[in-house]
Amino acid sequence: MNPIYPLMQREWLQHRFAWALLALVPLALALVLVSFGQIEFDDGEADRIGTALPAVMTLVAVAVCTVSAFVVFWVTSVIIATGLARRDHGDRSIEFWLSLPVGHVPSLAVPMLVHLVLVPAAALALGLLAGHGLAMVLVARFAGLSAWFGLPWADLFAATLALGLRLLAGLPLATLWLAPVILMAMLARAWIGRWGLPVLGLVLGLGGLLADRALGQPLLLPWLGHLMQQAVQAMAGAGEVSFTARGADEALAALRGLPGLALQDLGAALGALLSPAMAVGLVVSAVCFALLVDWRQRGSKAAD
Amino acid sequence: MTGTTTTAAPLVEAIGLSVRYGAKRAVDDVSFVIPKGRVVGLLGHNGAGKTTLMRALVGLARPEGTLRVLGLDPRRERVALLRSACYIPDVAILPRWARVQDLITLMGGMHPKFSAERARQLLRRTSVGLSDRVKTLSKGMVVQAHLALVAAIDARLMILDEPTLGLDVLSRKAFYEMLIDEWCDGERSVLISTHQVEEIESLLSDVLMLNEGKLVLSISLEDIDTRFVALSHDAAVAEQMAAAHPLLRYRTGPGPGGSAAIFDGAPPEHVQALGQRMRPSLVDLFVALTRKPELDRTQF
Repeated sequence: MNPIYPLMQREWLQHRFAWALLALVPLALALVLVSFGQIEFDDGEADRIGTALPAVMTLVAVAVCTVSAFVVFWVTSVIIATGLARRDHGDRSIEFWLSLPVGHVPSLAVPMLVHLVLVPAAALALGLLAGHGLAMVLVARFAGLSAWFGLPWADLFAATLALGLRLLAGLPLATLWLAPVILMAMLARAWIGRWGLPVLGLVLGLGGLLADRALGQPLLLPWLGHLMQQAVQAMAGAGEVSFTARGADEALAALRGLPGLALQDLGAALGALLSPAMAVGLVVSAVCFALLVDWRQRGSKAAD
Repeated sequence: MTGTTTTAAPLVEAIGLSVRYGAKRAVDDVSFVIPKGRVVGLLGHNGAGKTTLMRALVGLARPEGTLRVLGLDPRRERVALLRSACYIPDVAILPRWARVQDLITLMGGMHPKFSAERARQLLRRTSVGLSDRVKTLSKGMVVQAHLALVAAIDARLMILDEPTLGLDVLSRKAFYEMLIDEWCDGERSVLISTHQVEEIESLLSDVLMLNEGKLVLSISLEDIDTRFVALSHDAAVAEQMAAAHPLLRYRTGPGPGGSAAIFDGAPPEHVQALGQRMRPSLVDLFVALTRKPELDRTQF
């Protein structure tokens, strides 16, 4: 019997209402803002973009909506993830879960997968769809509904698909880069409880300074900073690509070039995985995960 | 148990089993066997090691010595073991966020021998609804729900640590009846720990008694009658009884004839002639074997 699906189902049953709120409330607020808010352009900007304005507005709305939805869900998911190891100890239901024939490894790994990859991925997809909906309202309000129908849909579809796929592909890569930090945080919260994160911060900060002194050069803190930077670039910007347009034609040309840029950027993000920093990160992640499994084996006694 | 011969492999076999928490030995060099088809009571004072022993049986405590449950190493083969054994720990511990139906769904996905239909059938006998959220249930209702879920597992071994804590007397009786009438079929065994010894004494086939981590008794209820002798007697012969060094002397009721003494093995004939033989209750035997000696005879 494969426990992966029921373990994922558990996360859905436990968090579905919170996820629904997290999706619908910002969306409703955004809809209100777009329907009744004002947009201001820098002097001459709108004229410079010209007839490509509806397309640019659509792309910006989709991008902002997608990124916002992703950030909100991702931050929430990371907070939940750091508490995963200890979450069932508060009501002692860990004893119930441990009485079921499910191994410690899937019991820890599947919720992490759900919260760190699947939920943010769903948020990306939701953001893309909601972005188009908001864009329709935005374009209709400032340029008329006919302008929305007249959008270069083939190019827009390709651009938003490229954007979505680039972000979706980058998400597991970003998670890999951040895995050591997230797993250290999970372990700290498992061992120490609510003071785990402050203690971890203190240990890493002091430990970094002491290591720097001992080794004669900074190591730990730059490594952590490198992980964060690579995680961001894994989502976008690994290939140092840029997207600029000074007029309608340039805007449309840039739109058409977005899929190529996204692919190039993804290639750079994949290439960045082959680095000593990633190798060290994977080792640290593996050790932290093994310690979490060992901690979970002790059941409710571990948290006493 | 010890003294019971059987050719079938036992469901549980422990040899020199110990469990440490730091420097403290919560279970200390315990050896016993549980064959199939037995209802075994695990008795002991608070802190005697009952819960630790049960946790070791399901792979949640790291034991020393030899322990095989259903032929498996509980620590290394925990998942395989739990496919054929079910366990209720000592507190009502269902996840508070879940609805009862959610738990049925999840257990159906995680446990190959769980029957959702059987669970719903057992729940219909309780006051718990499928759409009830665990956090809205009283403690007793949570226990009822948990028992119904676990009883819907087609397991060979059921390990119950104070399963009826929080249940009213009617619910407790209903649970014991379900256990004996519907679950125990001569092939499955139950290991149950409880402080309500009098209530389950009639259900048990065997008993294990723990005292400060050590196994002080491992015996079938049939052999209790053979090995232990309880004599009820008048207060007038109390001194002669005491001189025979019984395990325990206690009052059975008001009045001049309201005293009794328990002996391990047959007492001398002249002592037997002083009283009337009766069956020692599990509670009295438990007190006799686990009460601290300085609290014993000097109380009379």
